[in-house]
Amino acid sequence: MKTFIKFTAVIATTLLFSVSLYAHHSAAQFDFGNTVLVEGKVMEVRFANPHLRLILEVTDDARGTRDIEFEGHSRNNMRRQGLMPDMFIEGDAVTIRIAPMRNGEDGGYVTALRTPSGEEIGRVSGAD
Amino acid sequence: MPKTKSLIRFGAHIAITSIALFGMLLSSIATAAERPDFTGAWTTYRGNPGAAGGPSRFMGGELKLTPEAAKARQDFISITEGTNHGAGNSCVGGGMPGSMLGSGGYPMEIIQRPEQVFVIYEAHTEIRRFYIGNEAENPDSFFPERNGYSSAHWEGDRLIVETTRLKTQVDSRYPHSNQASIREEYYIDEPLTDGTRVLAADLTMTDPVWLEEPLVTTKRWQALSDYHVLTYECSEPVWLDEMEALYEEAGLEMVQE
Repeated sequence: MKTFIKFTAVIATTLLFSVSLYAHHSAAQFDFGNTVLVEGKVMEVRFANPHLRLILEVTDDARGTRDIEFEGHSRNNMRRQGLMPDMFIEGDAVTIRIAPMRNGEDGGYVTALRTPSGEEIGRVSGAD
Repeated sequence: MPKTKSLIRFGAHIAITSIALFGMLLSSIATAAERPDFTGAWTTYRGNPGAAGGPSRFMGGELKLTPEAAKARQDFISITEGTNHGAGNSCVGGGMPGSMLGSGGYPMEIIQRPEQVFVIYEAHTEIRRFYIGNEAENPDSFFPERNGYSSAHWEGDRLIVETTRLKTQVDSRYPHSNQASIREEYYIDEPLTDGTRVLAADLTMTDPVWLEEPLVTTKRWQALSDYHVLTYECSEPVWLDEMEALYEEAGLEMVQE
């Protein structure tokens, strides 16, 4: 039951952040069914419409350290979810949950974000 | 005596005219009283609290494309599917009927005046104007646009909107040719159990070139109270990127945010 609730919550959050994505372009390149966590240092952020642009410096064993560009929901919907530009700045460490690229390349669609102060916009915690 | 007759005739004429004008005035007051005010912010219809969903985005209706239209649509999908390419991603609004049928995820605002009704869809700040009565002009005197040209009139408590001068669109979930025309019928529907107002619109899109049959559907919204419909700046990042490249090329520092 717990697993079901967790699964439902993740799905709901995903939908929350992605409900209007399809109005802007096809979402087929993102795998919303298998979201993953990514930690990184904010190199650039642009709260914009139709999509948030977030570039993180990410390090992992497979590909080393590099800058990765992520896409997120519109500025308007980010604001409605409680994400504001003063919640983190360049150089901060943040954790994001993303729907990764289906083709395995770097990047993805941000479905949730944890700020340096620990505030969560969307559901970052949960099973990968 | 003839003078008296003439005066009587004149008086009678004035009286009849006054009665007629008074009647017209009463009639117009009565008609105006029937007209609902759609002014306000509206979001996707979710039905009554606790109910298992409800018809929200797109109720009924199925697109039956002609072979010509199906090929045009498929060509578009084949070059864009799985990519970031799309009208919205280029800050271009959906156009009719997508702007209307897709509204609600981002709220919609209506501002109603006797001679014109404005509909503002938050996403991409798409604005439609329904010109009423003398405000409406010959649609053929306007350039075709993605949202077309809309004239409207009241039939009792329903606002009838006729839209033509649409552009051919393959980049829409509701593709159509430039021969398409759309009829919308707006009315206040049954409120939710908590009294929340519900707005509905019956839509019929006909297209002799791209549709085998008219698209017929109903869209519903529910009122939002104490709510801000936001502006939707979208194209600025493109300009900022362009500026940044120019500054970089010139070896100068860009200070604009």
